[in-house]
Amino acid sequence: MQAKRSSLQITMDTVYALLMRELKTRFGSSKLGYFWAVAEPVAQASILAILFTLIGRSSLSGVPVALFLISGVMLFKAFSKSLTQLSAGIKSNTALFSYRQVSPIDPLITRLIIELATFFIVYIIILSVMFWLGFDVWPQDLLALITASLLLIFLAVGLALCLSVAQLYWQDTNKLLGMIMTPMFFISGIFFCATMIPQKFWYLFTWNPIFHAIELSRDAFFVSYETPVGSWMYLGLVTLTFNVLGLMLYRANRIRFVTL
Amino acid sequence: MIKFDNVSKYYSTKQGRHYILKNVSIALPTDVNIGVLGPNGVGKSTLVRMIGGADYPNSGQILSNKKISWPLGLQGGLQGSMTARENVRFVARIHGYKDTKEIETKVADFSEIGKFFDEPVKSYSSGMKARVSFGLTMAFDFDFDVLLIDELGAVGDANFRKKSQALLESKFNSTKLIMVSHSMGELKKYCQAGIVIKDQSILFYPKLDDAIIQYEETYVTTS
Repeated sequence: MQAKRSSLQITMDTVYALLMRELKTRFGSSKLGYFWAVAEPVAQASILAILFTLIGRSSLSGVPVALFLISGVMLFKAFSKSLTQLSAGIKSNTALFSYRQVSPIDPLITRLIIELATFFIVYIIILSVMFWLGFDVWPQDLLALITASLLLIFLAVGLALCLSVAQLYWQDTNKLLGMIMTPMFFISGIFFCATMIPQKFWYLFTWNPIFHAIELSRDAFFVSYETPVGSWMYLGLVTLTFNVLGLMLYRANRIRFVTL
Repeated sequence: MIKFDNVSKYYSTKQGRHYILKNVSIALPTDVNIGVLGPNGVGKSTLVRMIGGADYPNSGQILSNKKISWPLGLQGGLQGSMTARENVRFVARIHGYKDTKEIETKVADFSEIGKFFDEPVKSYSSGMKARVSFGLTMAFDFDFDVLLIDELGAVGDANFRKKSQALLESKFNSTKLIMVSHSMGELKKYCQAGIVIKDQSILFYPKLDDAIIQYEETYVTTS
């Protein structure tokens, strides 16, 4: 006989069960799974670094090109990976909702844990390697760097909740997501920063919370960079808004996820 | 006791809402085995799924303080991309078991599907699926007060049927059934009471024979 569990315990047991399952499908299916988690952002940053080196730049805003790019690419990857993974989370686990212990938000919690863990581990691995290669990788303000990263990842959580609900009403939501994420790569400040843009064009970028997060994280990372536009207030408010909205939409529609 | 408190359930169709249950308030006893009767499409499976928490009513509540199993049936329950072992582990974990080894072995022994136990469930025949899903509930030592069975008995070979019947019967003291089946013989064998779904409502009969008479009067045309 089993003792009665509290709701929180049931959720924790379920998330643990889902975690074991997801880890197996994500990384276990191919032995290279863990390798790709590190290789993908490195490859992306390397290609950009090579391009910049070819046009004769060795530093951007006083920061070595490679480090500058890694700081942007990592954060953007964390955001886009979390968003796509989490917004597909409910749909790919529908079959498991026939167990009453599994509620639709559980796969989202599970995937968030995986994305957070991957992000921090991969970031640490990359920085360690760069340290070994002779870069000065110790962030100026570690706490601010972590805060900016967490805010951006939680923005992805809020957006994913909204998108999951939107999928209930409109099947093609995820196609739209793919269309939007590609241009976002170019306007989120991955290979440039605010000081490289004329001030009169800042308004073209400052609506974008990813741009703010990357600006803020570089401000926190590099002694030589001070962001002129990055706003904690704006990033925080956007994240909060989408999380509140997402949770409300989820709460109102949670039965629809199960009943189809 | 399973209490239905003003329960309504409908599916949206092109011609508007198709009600399966409308404002149903009833209390079903959990000390007898209950057979669920009704023609195809009347909502037997939906009813069982709602009792098992795999589906929700559109309004109203279904309340019970008993331990009720998930609906054991051919659709749902097992996930196709996972192997039987992974499915078993998952179910054991969400029920709060940390050490799943013992349960895995039990299910593997009961289901007797050999090496296929470590192959994805989607590669199984329906009989093999039934073996695993039945074995899975067995493995929990019938911790459940009520076992929900949706047309599971129809598959499986003679040996397996005999084995699962014997196990079921040995547990009837502590575990009761709510069972969907189109085979009157099977229902008569297991169930004492019956439910007929009629006019978007649930009719409960303490005697299965009365339920069968009601079912035949309502739905079976003799011509």
